[in-house]
Amino acid sequence: MKVKKNLQELIKELKQSDKFGEQITYWHTLEEKEAQVADMPIGLDSHLMSALEKRGISRLYTHQRSSYDAVMAHQSIVAVTPTASGKTLCYNLPVLQTIINNPQARALYLFPTKALAQDQKMEINELIEESSLSVNSYTYDGDTPSNIRQKVRRAGHIVMTNPDMLHSAILPHHTKWVSLFENLRFIIIDELHIYRGVFGSHVANVLRRLLRICEFYGSKPVFICTSATIANPLELAEELTETNMKLIDNNGAPSGRKHFVFYNPPLVNQPLNIRRSATLEVRRLASEMLMNKVQTIIFAKSRVRVEVLLKYLQELVKHKIGPKAIRGYRGGYLPSERRSIEKGLRHGEIYGVVSTNALELGVDIGQLQVCIMTGYPGTISSSWQQAGRAGRRHSESLVIMVASSNPLDQYIIDHPDYFFKRNPETARINPDNLIILIDHIKCAAYELPFKKGESFGRFETEEVLEYLSEEQVLHENQEKYYWMNDSFPAHNVSLRSASQENVVIIDQSDVANVKVIGEMDRFSAMTLLHDEAIYLHQGTQFQVEYLDWEEKKAFVREVAVDYYTDANLAVELKVLEEDKTKRIGNEQIGYGDVSVTAMATIFKKIKFDTHDNIGSGPISLPEEELHTSATWVTFFAEGLMFGKERLEQGLIGAAHALKAIVPLFVMCDQTDVHVVPQVKAIHNEKPTLFFYDKYPGGVGLSEKVYDEIDQLIREAISMIERCPCETGCPSCVGTDLSSETAKGDVLKLFQTWL
Amino acid sequence: MSLKNKLNRLQSHMSHATEKKVEVEQKSPSVFPFQDVWQQHHVSPYHDIEGSTCLIREIHYPLDYLHGNYRFQELYKVIEKWNETTECHPLTARGHQAEDLFFFDTETTGLGGGVGNTIFLLGYASVSRKGVTLKQHILPDPGGEIALYKSFLESIDYTTMVTYNGKAFDWPQLQTRHTLIREHLPKLPPFGHFDLYHASRRLWKHKLERTKLSIVEREVLGVKREDDIPGYLAPMIYFDYLDTKNPEGMLGIMKHNEIDILSLITLYIHLSNQLLGLDKEQTTREAYETARWFSSIGEIKKAQVGYEELAQMNDEAGIKAKHQLAWQLKKKKQWAKAAELWLMVSSDGDDQEKFSACVELAKIYEHRLPDLMRAIQFTDKAFKQIETKEKYKKQKEGLYKRRERLIRKLQKRIHQDE
Repeated sequence: MKVKKNLQELIKELKQSDKFGEQITYWHTLEEKEAQVADMPIGLDSHLMSALEKRGISRLYTHQRSSYDAVMAHQSIVAVTPTASGKTLCYNLPVLQTIINNPQARALYLFPTKALAQDQKMEINELIEESSLSVNSYTYDGDTPSNIRQKVRRAGHIVMTNPDMLHSAILPHHTKWVSLFENLRFIIIDELHIYRGVFGSHVANVLRRLLRICEFYGSKPVFICTSATIANPLELAEELTETNMKLIDNNGAPSGRKHFVFYNPPLVNQPLNIRRSATLEVRRLASEMLMNKVQTIIFAKSRVRVEVLLKYLQELVKHKIGPKAIRGYRGGYLPSERRSIEKGLRHGEIYGVVSTNALELGVDIGQLQVCIMTGYPGTISSSWQQAGRAGRRHSESLVIMVASSNPLDQYIIDHPDYFFKRNPETARINPDNLIILIDHIKCAAYELPFKKGESFGRFETEEVLEYLSEEQVLHENQEKYYWMNDSFPAHNVSLRSASQENVVIIDQSDVANVKVIGEMDRFSAMTLLHDEAIYLHQGTQFQVEYLDWEEKKAFVREVAVDYYTDANLAVELKVLEEDKTKRIGNEQIGYGDVSVTAMATIFKKIKFDTHDNIGSGPISLPEEELHTSATWVTFFAEGLMFGKERLEQGLIGAAHALKAIVPLFVMCDQTDVHVVPQVKAIHNEKPTLFFYDKYPGGVGLSEKVYDEIDQLIREAISMIERCPCETGCPSCVGTDLSSETAKGDVLKLFQTWL
Repeated sequence: MSLKNKLNRLQSHMSHATEKKVEVEQKSPSVFPFQDVWQQHHVSPYHDIEGSTCLIREIHYPLDYLHGNYRFQELYKVIEKWNETTECHPLTARGHQAEDLFFFDTETTGLGGGVGNTIFLLGYASVSRKGVTLKQHILPDPGGEIALYKSFLESIDYTTMVTYNGKAFDWPQLQTRHTLIREHLPKLPPFGHFDLYHASRRLWKHKLERTKLSIVEREVLGVKREDDIPGYLAPMIYFDYLDTKNPEGMLGIMKHNEIDILSLITLYIHLSNQLLGLDKEQTTREAYETARWFSSIGEIKKAQVGYEELAQMNDEAGIKAKHQLAWQLKKKKQWAKAAELWLMVSSDGDDQEKFSACVELAKIYEHRLPDLMRAIQFTDKAFKQIETKEKYKKQKEGLYKRRERLIRKLQKRIHQDE
């Protein structure tokens, strides 16, 4: 009989075995770290102290103590706290102590999701009960029953909610929350790094509204933010809150020895550089761990992947440890189901969990031994978040990242230094994006009239207020601007959707159960959701039966066909205003406002495998126009003596490579920044590459690209050079290129940087 | 690029309507534009010492004025009658005089209960021996709110307000707007509150599709409106008035508000007549709903008197009253009498009533007045009432179980007899 192996043995085997050894491209060991502690602060309530002692906490980690000291001195802070470093004490301690000192004091906790708020309420209530304090802490969200809402508003010392609820239910009814706003001492922003891009830009404006209401009621709250490791926590916190912050990054929590392994699946097609599926490899690695009853968390990128992996793994170990010992975890599970999984993990009854990034956030599941990622999670920051799920304080842990064929994954796997040494990504927001800003100025005017000359955060409102008066949304009277409209503005503003007018995708395969399966921005919808398009959703093929452009609805039905569709989009970019410009070598870099017009023309049906064109059809959709911000790189390529064809192919290849690299620098999805080549740009008639923000008005992504363009292009070159393919593959310049010389031509275009 | 240009470029991405409005002519600089028109309609300005201004309209009606089916003076009669009663009731005026009440209604710039929904008209009427006085405080500009609320709070010297859905809407909204400028204003005094919306729902939900005030007026009170401006247009008319200062549209809103308030007086008289049993034309259904209301607030005796009288009839209300009486008898353990009434309900009630009467009969014949065969009969009959209805899954299971148990008992009995 085979004897069960422990983690040390498995690690040793992994290092030596032929079975996996060849695929391991990098092995990084993080040594264990001792705890750094400080004494409990003087003056901390004795009940609180003894409750903490009961939990085995008699001293604080250094970062917890620094947070406490700063906050008690009315200094707003942002604490950078890796997974499982005891971040909740960074805010709970000063908040509870302040309420003990002054029972009138109030605190507002903001969590990005309802589930996190529920979690934290349980945690703080345990502490409150153990210290027998009379402090009321409640969650306030869509599930809060109406009969206790009034009690929360009047008597809640600590109110835990999310930004959406603050935006649409609390601020527009602030007169019902007088006792909260009059006495608000603390605003806690947990998981700060989530507030980036469009969502972050919205939330920054919600906070401007919140501070405006606080000022009206005469309170001046201190912010306590906690963030995962990103490149710019201080900058993000200060931009989001427009408040001076102190950075607390002296993490004193201990950690055990951790092995971080890069795993690249074997090549199955050398010239095309195609590798075995990451999912299959993860299956193999995970079953090895689970068969030996080593507690393992497996991250997959989509809900479908989660289900596929789960089914397989449960099947595999059914007879060994029972299918209930391996569970899935993703959005769409009931809260009670999630709670039972979390508990099972903490207590060790569950050995394995397959999860989407839902478990990346601070839900408490205890610490597991092994973490396996199916593909690069997309950012360095979330990789560390996921890796943090494995690693007990005093024992070894193992993290395996299995790469997919995606260019970004291949880049990371080839550049371990980059991953381990460089700062994680920068989180960007643009609170002054006019579209977002104006929506919130409307909401703010609804909440309180604007005085002439009043600023909204740092934004000078005068012109916007005049504009909204002209539009008859506001009414000016005696130097004040009043809301004069019969609508409820917060209802028309969603903090999470990228744009007001997304196309909703409706699956009508099952007539009795028609359901919305997703949404897509208008621009992408033109080429991906036109009539007859084959739309891939989590690995399933759907055909678009009808795209209702007026109503922004695409009706789809599940199909099984052996082709995909590819639409032609004629894009034209006009530079409206150049705000910044610089020269690097031969190339001219610009940043400013652009207008993008796009028109979908025809689509082709392309057979899988052979890539034969097996049919085509027209697309009749109106031209779309988008105003946004962009960065552009103009090439002076005359010296290359490329024909038009080669130049075009080169630019397309360059765009493909750069698009994959952008998320390395800016915290965003690959689709948030579009990269478009123009052989002859309208504004200067030169070959130019444009990077533009998908969201109208821009949220700061392309501006970051402008700042980092030099580095960005260097990384793209390195990625292309190191790619083992011969004439281009999906992992570098893409496969859309017909020219054999394309890969080399891309590099020639970038000669300045070579 | 200037911000304005950017704003115009991004126009199509904005969430508000983008229809370009016609430029408004230069506003007249007069402090009180259209003074003559306003004065014709009994409106005069009120200036607050802090420099804010509102408008106040005051008009009078004689006590013998007929609004709908009643004259206002009948208010005195019903209040006298209330003072002779001993029961509790949410609408009782016991301990009050007619002069204590004010009939109150507002007009606002939107529907929801959020902070930004502005009240631009506060209207109320009170009754005295001299007649009915109706006052409307109008917000000529959003900056006039201090004057609006100050003048309002100075002149409402009453104990109890009478509204139509004011508990959920008008009063909380007034509290909200008061909070925004509370440092300039006296505190809001406490008031008693008769909300006639809930009363109307109780009494007439069975026959009216919706219980909006305008429908109750038309269908119940005999009030006819001529050239009335529908309430939903009020925000738009007010926004237009803010731009043009021309009172024409506002006069229509004020008339609408005036009728609403007068109808509150008529409605209170009519509701009191229902509750006090003074309406000779009261339908049996209205009498039934009245009794039921008393029952729900714990005035069981009062309710019983009503039910007993109705139970003499065999119409719809009569059956309903029998049903209710049977419940009361069950509570008192008077099984035979209860069974007698439920027997009638089980044959003449509506589906729902038949069902619950049969269930109760089955219970009585199983446990109280043992007659297993009849118990089975009624179990089957109850089942028939809900056989095709999907919602009743739980009830069906209950009936199955009861039937099985009854059969077992019956078999046991037969066995013993043998």
